[in-house]
Amino acid sequence: MKLNPLTQKKIRRFQSIKRGYYSLVVFIIMIGISLFAELLINNRALIVYYDGEYYFPTYGQMIPGKVFGLDYEYETNYRDLQKRFRAKNSENWLVMPIIPYGKLETDLKEDRYPPFPPSFQEEHYFGTDNVGRDIVARLVYGFRIAIFFSLILLLANYSIGISIGIVMGYWGGKFDLFFQRIIEIWSNVPFLYVIIIISSIVVPNFMMLVLIMAFFGWINMTWTMRTVTYKEKEREYILAAKSLGASNVRILFKHLLPNTVAVIVTYAPFSVSGGIVALTSLDYLGFGLPPPTPSWGELIQQGWANMNAWWISISVIVSMLITLIVVTFIGEAVREAFDPKLHTTYE
Amino acid sequence: MTAYLIRRLLLIIPTFLGITIMAFTITRFVPGGPIERMIAEARMQKTGLSSTRPLAGDQTQPLSEEQIQELKKYYGFDKPILVSYFFWLGKVLTGDLGVSTRYYDPVWDMIRDRIPISLYFGSISLLLVYGVCIPLGITKAIRHKTQFDNISSIIVFIGYAIPGWVVGVLLLIIFASQWEIFPLGGFVSDDFQDMTVFGKVWDLILHTILPLIAYMVGSFTVMTFLMKNTLMDHLASDYVRTAIAKGLSFESAVFRHALRNSLIPMATHFGNNISLILMGSFLIEKVFNINGMGLLGYESVVERDYPVVMGILVISSFLFMVGNILSDICVAIVDPRVTFE
Repeated sequence: MKLNPLTQKKIRRFQSIKRGYYSLVVFIIMIGISLFAELLINNRALIVYYDGEYYFPTYGQMIPGKVFGLDYEYETNYRDLQKRFRAKNSENWLVMPIIPYGKLETDLKEDRYPPFPPSFQEEHYFGTDNVGRDIVARLVYGFRIAIFFSLILLLANYSIGISIGIVMGYWGGKFDLFFQRIIEIWSNVPFLYVIIIISSIVVPNFMMLVLIMAFFGWINMTWTMRTVTYKEKEREYILAAKSLGASNVRILFKHLLPNTVAVIVTYAPFSVSGGIVALTSLDYLGFGLPPPTPSWGELIQQGWANMNAWWISISVIVSMLITLIVVTFIGEAVREAFDPKLHTTYE
Repeated sequence: MTAYLIRRLLLIIPTFLGITIMAFTITRFVPGGPIERMIAEARMQKTGLSSTRPLAGDQTQPLSEEQIQELKKYYGFDKPILVSYFFWLGKVLTGDLGVSTRYYDPVWDMIRDRIPISLYFGSISLLLVYGVCIPLGITKAIRHKTQFDNISSIIVFIGYAIPGWVVGVLLLIIFASQWEIFPLGGFVSDDFQDMTVFGKVWDLILHTILPLIAYMVGSFTVMTFLMKNTLMDHLASDYVRTAIAKGLSFESAVFRHALRNSLIPMATHFGNNISLILMGSFLIEKVFNINGMGLLGYESVVERDYPVVMGILVISSFLFMVGNILSDICVAIVDPRVTFE
C-alpha cells in the first residue's frame, strides 16, 4: 500500500511519541493475548496423551470422560484427570493451560465458601469471585468482550455519524436545521435510562446491545463531522474542484472525506475507551449483557457489594485502569501526531 | 444579539416538545408500568409468589376488567397518547408535575428534597475544578514539555481515563473498607440529628470528601487541558509575539494579553455545567448511596415511576437548553467579536 507522504510523516511523528507508540504496542499485545485466551486460560487441557493417542481438547467438541477411561459421559474434568495420571504414574500425560480454570466454571471447595483470596497453590492468582469463578479468567474473557464490543460500536457510530454529518455540513440549509433539532432532542433523551428500560424488558445479547447503543451514540460524530465539513467546504480546493465541474459525489468522496480523516482518527481511541466504560457501567448496574457472560462491570459490582473481598475490585479496577490509560495515551499521541500546529515555547 | 437570543429562546419550544413527546411515548409502550405492577401485586397477594415479572404461563387475572379500566382511567392510560400527552403538558405548564405512582408523593416535592444535595456536590466540585484547573493549565502551558508538564500530564490523564464512579468504588474499598478513615457512603450519618454543630460539620465533611473526588476526576482533566491548549495557541499567535518583541515582559504578555483571550472557551463550558450541577451523576450517587437527583432519576426509571421520570426530564432538558443559551451569552460578553447575527 502506498501512503501519501503527509500520512507517512504523521505516522513517523506518532512513532516518535514514545508514550503513545509503546501504548499501541502494549494494546495490540493485549488484544492478541485475549484472542488466544482459550490456550492460556481454560479448564480444557492443551494436549492429552492417552493410550498412544494425542487429543487436543481446546477447540471443538467437548470430549466425554469415557474416552479417557473415566466413568462419566459429561465433559472430562482435566484437572482431576491430571491428578489421576500422576497418581497412577502411568505413561499417559496431559498439559494444562497456565491458568487451568474456565471462564464460567465455579471452583467449589468442600469446607469453604467463595470468594477465595488469591492463592498460588490453587492457581487462582487473583483469587475467585463471589461464586468461585477464577478472576483472571473472568478478566481476560471480559476484556475480549469489552474491546470487541467497543470496536464494533465505534464502527457503527462512525458510519452513521460520518454519513449524516458530512451531508449536513455540505448541503446545509433545511436539512441541516432539521437534523440539528433531531440531534438536540436525541442528546437530551437520557440514553442510559432508555437502555435500562429496554434491557429490563428484553435481556439483550451482544449485537442487540451494540445496536441499542449505536442508536444513541451516533450524535457526537455527526456533530463533529458537520463542523469539520463546514470549515473544509469553504476552502479553495473545494471551490477549484467545483469550478472544474466535479460532481457532488466526487467532491464528497474524493476531496472532503480524505481531508476529514485526521479528525476521525483522532477521535477513535477516545470512542474506544468510551465504549468500554459504557459497557462496564451498564454491567455494573446489571443492565448489560446477561449474567454468566464474563464482564468487568459485573466484577466491580461484586467487589462493591462485598468489600471485604478486596481482591475482586482491586484486580478489576487495576486492569481497567491499565487498559483505559493505554488507550488514552494512544489517543493523545495520535492527536499530537495529526495536529499540524507546532507549539511555540518562549525561553 | 437580542434577535438571536429571541430566536434561540423560541427554538427551545419545539425541542422541548420533541424530547417530552418521545419520552412520553416510550413510557406508554414499555411494559411494567403502574397498572402491570398493580396486577402483579394483586397476584402476589393472592398466590404469595413474589415476582415482579409476570410468569409466562400464568394467565390468571387477579383484577376484574372494571378494576383495570378504573386504574387506566386513574393513570390516564385510557385516552390516546397525544390526548393524554397534552393533558400532561397542560398540567406541567401550570407547575403541576403530577404524583409519583410509587410513593404517591407530589413529584415536585420529591425533586425539591433532592436538589440541595446535588447542588451541594455540584457547586463545590465546580468551584474546585475551576479554582485548580485554571492555574494548573496556565503553569502547564508556560512550562510546556518540561518535567513538571509531563508528570502532571500523566497524573491528569490517569484521572481522565478512569470514570468517576470506578474511582469512587476504589476509594471506598481503600479508605472506607480497608482503612476505615471515611464512612461507607450516604450523605450524613444515621445519628446526624443528635450531633453537635461541630460534629455535624465534621460528619458532613467526612461524607463529602470521597464523592467529591469522584465527581471532580473527569471534568478536572478536560478543563486543565482546555486551559493549557488554548493558552498555548494564543502564546503562539502573532499578537503575543508582537507584544514580546516590542519589549513587554513575558509575565505581562501572558497575563494581560494571552490569558484574557484563553478564558473564552472556559466561559463557554460554564453554561453547560449548570445542568450537570443540578442533575449530578447517578452512577456516583449509586456507588456512594447519596440520595441526590441522579439517584432519584435512576430509581424512578428502574421502578417505572413515570411521573417522576418525566418530571426530572422536564427539569433537566430545560436546564440543558438554558445552559446552552447562557454559554452563548457568556461568550458574547467575554468576546466582543462575537455578535450572533
